[in-house]
Amino acid sequence: MAVDITLLFKASVKTVKTRNKAIGIGFDSTKDEIFKRSRPKSGFSPRAKEVITNITKLKDFLLQHRKDYVSAGSLISSDLSRMTDNDRDQIDQDAQIFMRTCSEAIKQLRNEAEKQVISAQIKEHRGAVLDLIETYLKGVCKLYSEQRAIRVKRMVDKKRLSRLVPEHHGPVEKKVEVEPTEEDTVKEGSSEKTASSEVQDNPVNLWEESRVEDELSPEEIQMFEQENQRLISEMNSLVDEVRQIEGKVVEISRLQEIFAEKVLQQEAEIDNIHQLVVGATENVKEGNEDIREAIKNNAGFRVWILFFLVMCSFSLLFLDWYDS
Amino acid sequence: MACHIPRLVSLLKKKHFLCCISAVALKRMLNFNAPPLKNTAAEPVWKVLIYDRFGQDIISPLLSVKELRDMGITLHLLLHSDRDPIPDVPAIYFVMPTEENIDRICQDLRNQLYESYYLNFISAISRSKLEDIASAALAANAVTQVTKVFDQYLNFITLEDDMFILCHQNKELISYHAINRADIQDTDMEAIMDTIVDSLFCFFVTLGAVPIIRCPRGNAAEMVAVKLDKKLRENLRDARNSLFTGDSMTAGQFSFQRPLFVLVDRNVDMATPLHHTWTYQALIHDVLDFHLNRVVMEEGMGAEPSAGARPKKKSRKTYDLTAADKFWQKHKGSPFPEVAESVQEELDTYRAQEDEVKRLKSIMGLEGEDEGAISMLSDNTAKLTSAVSSLPELLEKKRLIDLHTNVATAVLDHIKSRKLDVYFEFEEKLMSKSTLDKSLLDIISDPDAGTPEDKMRLFLIYYITAQQAPSESDLEQYKKALLDAVCDLSPLNYIKQWKAFTKMAATPANYGNSGVKPMGLFSRVMNTGSQFVMEGVKNLVLKQHNLPVTRILDNLMEMKSHPETDDYRYFDPKMLRGSESSIPRNKNPFQEAIVFVVGGGNYIEYQNLVDYTKSKQGKKIVYGCSELFNASQFIKQLSQLGQK
Repeated sequence: MAVDITLLFKASVKTVKTRNKAIGIGFDSTKDEIFKRSRPKSGFSPRAKEVITNITKLKDFLLQHRKDYVSAGSLISSDLSRMTDNDRDQIDQDAQIFMRTCSEAIKQLRNEAEKQVISAQIKEHRGAVLDLIETYLKGVCKLYSEQRAIRVKRMVDKKRLSRLVPEHHGPVEKKVEVEPTEEDTVKEGSSEKTASSEVQDNPVNLWEESRVEDELSPEEIQMFEQENQRLISEMNSLVDEVRQIEGKVVEISRLQEIFAEKVLQQEAEIDNIHQLVVGATENVKEGNEDIREAIKNNAGFRVWILFFLVMCSFSLLFLDWYDS
Repeated sequence: MACHIPRLVSLLKKKHFLCCISAVALKRMLNFNAPPLKNTAAEPVWKVLIYDRFGQDIISPLLSVKELRDMGITLHLLLHSDRDPIPDVPAIYFVMPTEENIDRICQDLRNQLYESYYLNFISAISRSKLEDIASAALAANAVTQVTKVFDQYLNFITLEDDMFILCHQNKELISYHAINRADIQDTDMEAIMDTIVDSLFCFFVTLGAVPIIRCPRGNAAEMVAVKLDKKLRENLRDARNSLFTGDSMTAGQFSFQRPLFVLVDRNVDMATPLHHTWTYQALIHDVLDFHLNRVVMEEGMGAEPSAGARPKKKSRKTYDLTAADKFWQKHKGSPFPEVAESVQEELDTYRAQEDEVKRLKSIMGLEGEDEGAISMLSDNTAKLTSAVSSLPELLEKKRLIDLHTNVATAVLDHIKSRKLDVYFEFEEKLMSKSTLDKSLLDIISDPDAGTPEDKMRLFLIYYITAQQAPSESDLEQYKKALLDAVCDLSPLNYIKQWKAFTKMAATPANYGNSGVKPMGLFSRVMNTGSQFVMEGVKNLVLKQHNLPVTRILDNLMEMKSHPETDDYRYFDPKMLRGSESSIPRNKNPFQEAIVFVVGGGNYIEYQNLVDYTKSKQGKKIVYGCSELFNASQFIKQLSQLGQK
């Protein structure tokens, strides 16, 4: 167990002070203190701390509204829910802008730290500090994206539950749980029945009778109605698909993020490899040149040797002829 | 402090014991001595860690660099290196309170390197040194900057959950050689004993328990026990500053029983450090360079380089074997052939998982055309997400498998070249006094079985475990054979002396009955798919047997009566009056025990204790030693002693 001896230390400080006073050594304490106080106001550290406080504010904000944001409650969108979709969209947008500004600030700090000419240790320290801040920001972003994914998933599930398409196996029993607010589906159900059955009689005729007589014949009205219903159902299915795709896209974007990270890491390595390869090609070229030189020198050398030998033999013949 | 006691208690109930306590203490220190919060996404606070070599040895087996980074440590530097001023960052110091360190700290204070200083001393700092720092702080006007000063009482190195050693730097000062040399002065002995007792005291403070001490009579262990008892007693008497009472104690840990602390001297069992071994961890320690859970190997030891080509450079690779490595934790005590098989199995499972992930690619390709099955698509997205998130795990697993493959291959090379299995078998037979099928002389004169050191080890074990000393003519024969094999005979001189001194002749060390059954020359390990071709390496099966240290511990823990241990002294620091009697007051068997070997220990004893613990339910045993040496280091010390 660790023992806190700070008090002991302070006591020793007092002892030393009194001892020094007794001996007569004095210190002028005021001057140095003033020097110490004037720290750089716009230094690295205060700005980094600022970024952290901003991220903390964002985190608190997200956590505060998290309950409301995620509250599924029931699938009934009654007025008991505390947050409308508009509010949620607003929160999403604000959070995104905030996160973007924070990451910009971090990047800026990093660039400045790179440019400044300072010792290696301070550089390493600042790099590590920025890494820590980035990890913190990533954690908070994860909070946000989790929230958002939950929300989108809930909407998709809501849509899927409320959809009534007979050819889909499954939601036939879910018809019973359909919300009364989804008037489309009720109408859809009845219109499906009417569409699949024979020519309408009572409901349509009732409608017809209640409406103002225009030039359309009953069959045409019916046809138009059928077309309406069909269009509505098509639109609904399209909307459903779009919502589902949105959910999938959110997931894919998360995966994409992971992949992008990995690719960026590999980019640095590939650059490295590229440079090495370029260097290697240069070396190989120079090597080839050198080899060619060497061959030429070799050949030239041989020519000179031959020449020398021929000259020697000629001189021998000449001397021999001269002597004889 | 009281707020985190429940959490600590729950931590202690887990299986991991010593590692957790030390790691928790370190983490608390790194968090400015406040309990670390378990918040997700807590605000980062950055700090700089300054340590000396002792601190480095203590921290490195427990926390990796990544964990340090996660705790907010941006830079970790040695105390005596050149450090640049980083004026807006708090600095945590973790150093021993020696003169040079204190001077350096005062210098730092004068140069105003950091914004605030948190000083943590590994063992207790004396008042005068504290005043030195105080005066330097006053001179530099930095008194307010020194925010906290702590005595951490962490002066020991935790290697495993249940194993600790005293120190790695300067271990020659308290080595076996230093304690047992003939020309030792009283003052030297005092200094050595003080160092050992200081570390043991720190250990018990961290553990938070006052043990009952048992030790044999008449050797270094007794001296250590007396001093430790005195120190614990003094501390307990001093009610104001006692370290063992009140909130500093981790309540509920040893609430019913106090642990038993058994001190033994290396001289009680000289054969075990020389023994050739067959379990994974002990083999690595014996054959490769293994310190503080780190293996350093040379890679790229290829065939002879061809003429004219540049020789292949040998690169040194270091591997960390940590508690997070599950394969290591499971297999560090298993016999080597089992390890080889398990590595193969792990490799196969890993490949199967890799294929799973690759198969997803084809599945994704097919499903794109089926538009109606949107639900199936979402399944695949989920599968893809899970595959991607499990990728880091897979990569980590692969790295560990590679690591163990390399290490095990290196060990296997050594085994094959030195025929260590032959030695192991022979030594087991010697130690259990069963009949030998080959004569000792044959093995010693065999030119390609092992290095001269191996032969010396074998002969020393024979000499130590022989009931009567071999006759002069036999001895001469052996000596000649050893000299032929280029062995150094000085350890033999020392062992002769040792045997004469100790009372071992009266009660010969009984190494228990162990049978060694070779499982056939060509075991099923050797199949075409396996990378480990163990031709000719016998697949030996270890039978459980107890080494002397384990037996002593067993007797003491279970309160059995045995001529060897009845003579042991008994110390209880909590008793009001120290008594000279060796009658234990406690009649119940102990549940927790700590074994400490003065003079050095090794992994074979540790493994034996672990096996013993496994066979007894509910007991916790911690092994400690003043230094950890393998057989070659021990032989060096013996030859130094024999040359005097």
